[in-house]
Amino acid sequence: MTEAILSVQGVSKRFGGFTALSDISIDFHRDRLTSIIGPNGAGKSTFFNVLSGAFPPSEGKVHYNGRDITGVAQHRFAHMGIAKSFQITNLFPLLSAHENVRIAAQAMQTRFNIWTPRSRFRELDEKADALLELVGLWDKRHETAGNLAHGAQRSLEIAVALACEPQLLLLDEPTAGMSPEEAREMMDLILKLHAERGIILVEHRMKLVMGISNRIVVLHHGQLLAEGTPEEIRTHEEVRRVYLGQTV
Amino acid sequence: MWFHSIGLLLRGVRVTFDLFLLQLFTGVALGAIYVLVALGLSLIFGLLTIVNFAHSQFFMLGAYVGAFIMGFVGNFWLALVGVPIVVGLIGMVCERFLIRPLYGRGIDYPLLLTFGLGLIILEIVRMLAGTAGIPFGTPPSLSGAVDLGVFFFPKYRLFLIGITAVILVGLWLFLERTSYGLIIRAGARDQEIVQILGIDVSKVWLVVFGVGIALAGLAGLLAAPIRGVFPEMGVPVLVEAFVVTVVGGMGSLFGAVVAGLLVGITVSFTSFYFPQMATLSMFLLMALVLIFRPRGLFGRAGLLD
Amino acid sequence: MSSKAERNALDVDRTGEQRQVRMPALIDLIARHRVLAAIVFLMVLPWATPYEALAINILIFGLYAIGFNLIFGYAGMLSFGHAAFFGLGAYGCGIPIAKFGFPWFVALPLGVAVAGLAAAIIGWLAIRARGIYFAMVTLALSQIVYYVVFQWVSLTGGEDGLRGVAVNSIDIFGLRLNMLDPMTKYYAILVIVAVALWLFSRILNSPFGGVLEAIRENEKRAAACGYDIKGTRWLAFLLSGLFSGLAGALYAMHLSVVPIETLHYFNSAIVVMMALLGGMGTFFGPFLGALVYLLLEDIITVITVHWQLFVGALFVFLILFFPRGIWGSLLHWMKQ
Repeated sequence: MTEAILSVQGVSKRFGGFTALSDISIDFHRDRLTSIIGPNGAGKSTFFNVLSGAFPPSEGKVHYNGRDITGVAQHRFAHMGIAKSFQITNLFPLLSAHENVRIAAQAMQTRFNIWTPRSRFRELDEKADALLELVGLWDKRHETAGNLAHGAQRSLEIAVALACEPQLLLLDEPTAGMSPEEAREMMDLILKLHAERGIILVEHRMKLVMGISNRIVVLHHGQLLAEGTPEEIRTHEEVRRVYLGQTV
Repeated sequence: MWFHSIGLLLRGVRVTFDLFLLQLFTGVALGAIYVLVALGLSLIFGLLTIVNFAHSQFFMLGAYVGAFIMGFVGNFWLALVGVPIVVGLIGMVCERFLIRPLYGRGIDYPLLLTFGLGLIILEIVRMLAGTAGIPFGTPPSLSGAVDLGVFFFPKYRLFLIGITAVILVGLWLFLERTSYGLIIRAGARDQEIVQILGIDVSKVWLVVFGVGIALAGLAGLLAAPIRGVFPEMGVPVLVEAFVVTVVGGMGSLFGAVVAGLLVGITVSFTSFYFPQMATLSMFLLMALVLIFRPRGLFGRAGLLD
Repeated sequence: MSSKAERNALDVDRTGEQRQVRMPALIDLIARHRVLAAIVFLMVLPWATPYEALAINILIFGLYAIGFNLIFGYAGMLSFGHAAFFGLGAYGCGIPIAKFGFPWFVALPLGVAVAGLAAAIIGWLAIRARGIYFAMVTLALSQIVYYVVFQWVSLTGGEDGLRGVAVNSIDIFGLRLNMLDPMTKYYAILVIVAVALWLFSRILNSPFGGVLEAIRENEKRAAACGYDIKGTRWLAFLLSGLFSGLAGALYAMHLSVVPIETLHYFNSAIVVMMALLGGMGTFFGPFLGALVYLLLEDIITVITVHWQLFVGALFVFLILFFPRGIWGSLLHWMKQ
């Protein structure tokens, strides 16, 4: 058993009087592909946002490699090695696919250089092209991101997230709005990426993740309902009840 | 001998305390104007998300319209009723024909447009009424001072505090008790809900803009006997209103009231104890708020929260 | 700050190397060698204006507008307090010359430094305020500068302005330039402006320029990529203040007096107008805006004293019907 890469202890999140998450504690491991599932309104997105630093929890702590990262500024996450993709496609729409990945890669190298021409950084171009090839967008690299098809935009989003060479990749419903065919391709890609890094995946469709995950976390009404291997989850009494009517 | 010194000391404390109270009252009177201006600004921002850079010119316009009405009928009380109506109507015309086309086009556009509108109003007033300014005396029934027991206080400033309180209560009743007020409060929280309810939002916005501008005009009239009436009288007011809004929290009406009084009191005290810091004190207050509470004292949770 | 969609709808002079849009050869050539093109244009400018002093004003206010455009057009933040940096540049350069007899080549960088210091402080405070607060806070903070300079009569001359900023001649490598001759003065200032333009273009082409573009397009995504939004904005504000300060310092040397109006908030509005008129977020737009604005002012103030009425009407007209500005619209038409 490896040391946890991301460890959540007693996390709660309230919005005004509404409790979106209550007292959740889980460890995530680097060598695992963990999927967070749950019916609509279970608090998956809120939990994802707490994990990825979009907003701090009301209570509790988040540790990354043993270091407390609760409330750390969003931009520091990329530098620590945590990257994320957004549920709703979130790119630089006027830039080309290549420029999208390139600017993301640049963040790891130089952020406040006001002197050297950008064109000098050839290695960034190479890195961007390599990542685009990995996600299967090399031939579309000069197309404006805003004009790409939905599936291609989702893939580009992954490439942008990978540009900071993350140890941990957080993906918020990467297959949202995709056809079954596209979704399967995306899952294959995610499995491939998992070879080199820890992945935490939020997914609405339980069926999709059962095959590829080696750990499943089930949320329900903002609480941790169950955690275990896909097999354990499949046979879990409570989970079956919550997902009643859905084929498990 | 020693009791004599103590007596002197006590008298000193007494005098200082009286002066303190006097400055406090002066500050509240000064703040009353800030409150009215900032309320209009916040009301408009809260619902329309427009920072109205012409606000101070409507303030000036209020003073001029007031002077005009008084020159015509010679009655301050009539001006008090007429100014908000006339200026509010002018504001509504501006909203309908200039600002409405800009909804949904980003927040900078209406801001820049209202700045241009302010210049136009300023220059038109200069053309019609001259650049020199016009006399505007305190209404006779409100001039002189009243004995408040501990000190004499100008009657007009007392009136200023009173009328502002009345306006605040009226505004509160409007927002809490009328259907328009309900929509305004709902709209400030969630514009989608208002649209789902099938209410004509544009009509509500028109009214809110009119009310906000009417408040500015009224503040201008009320400030006229103190600040004087001249075309540039609004210029410092815009900045003062911004300071109040930043301190109180954008879109928070309660914040506008508290911050308006706070800024008034701050200015009043510094102009008494450190006159050279009088104008700067409010900016220092704003800087402090920005450092320690960037969203303002009362954030933006909703109207009158 | 405008909504993302709105910003995206506006044409911006994109600085990325991969240019997608096909433009006519001449425009493309100008875009590729924008600094050179600007300098060539400015070299012939004084022959086209009614008198040289106007050309010098265009030069100086063009630089001012370019500096302002870094924060407004490229970083997407509307500052209503840039008069503070222009004015402090002017006073910071003028006071050492008029009061302490400093040579111009010491005073000029001093002016820029004073403006930069003010931009660093005001920027730090204003960037804490989110979104729409920014315009209000920058306006309010710039008023502090106005009041301080206004009241510090012994140093600044207060309401009457600072007098006696006499730079009659400039000696460079044994060459004596007579600054009382308007043409000589124009070309001397042009040299400095040309260097500033080259620096500006370099900033736009730098990695930092790319970050500005990314943040303007999608702030959330840029933060997730690891870009410090506040830090980037602060640096952009500082740089913008430095360019505005340089313009102010040159203005002091040009006029030999520093009027208090340089710090007036109307001077902040003028630069917004110039950027808007020419086309915000474009390289040439602000210069073009300064040119058109100053020419209009020159013509209209002869006819009427109510120049501000036209400024106001122009604001309203531009916002309602012509938000892309002159150069922005030109680029837009070319692309279609």
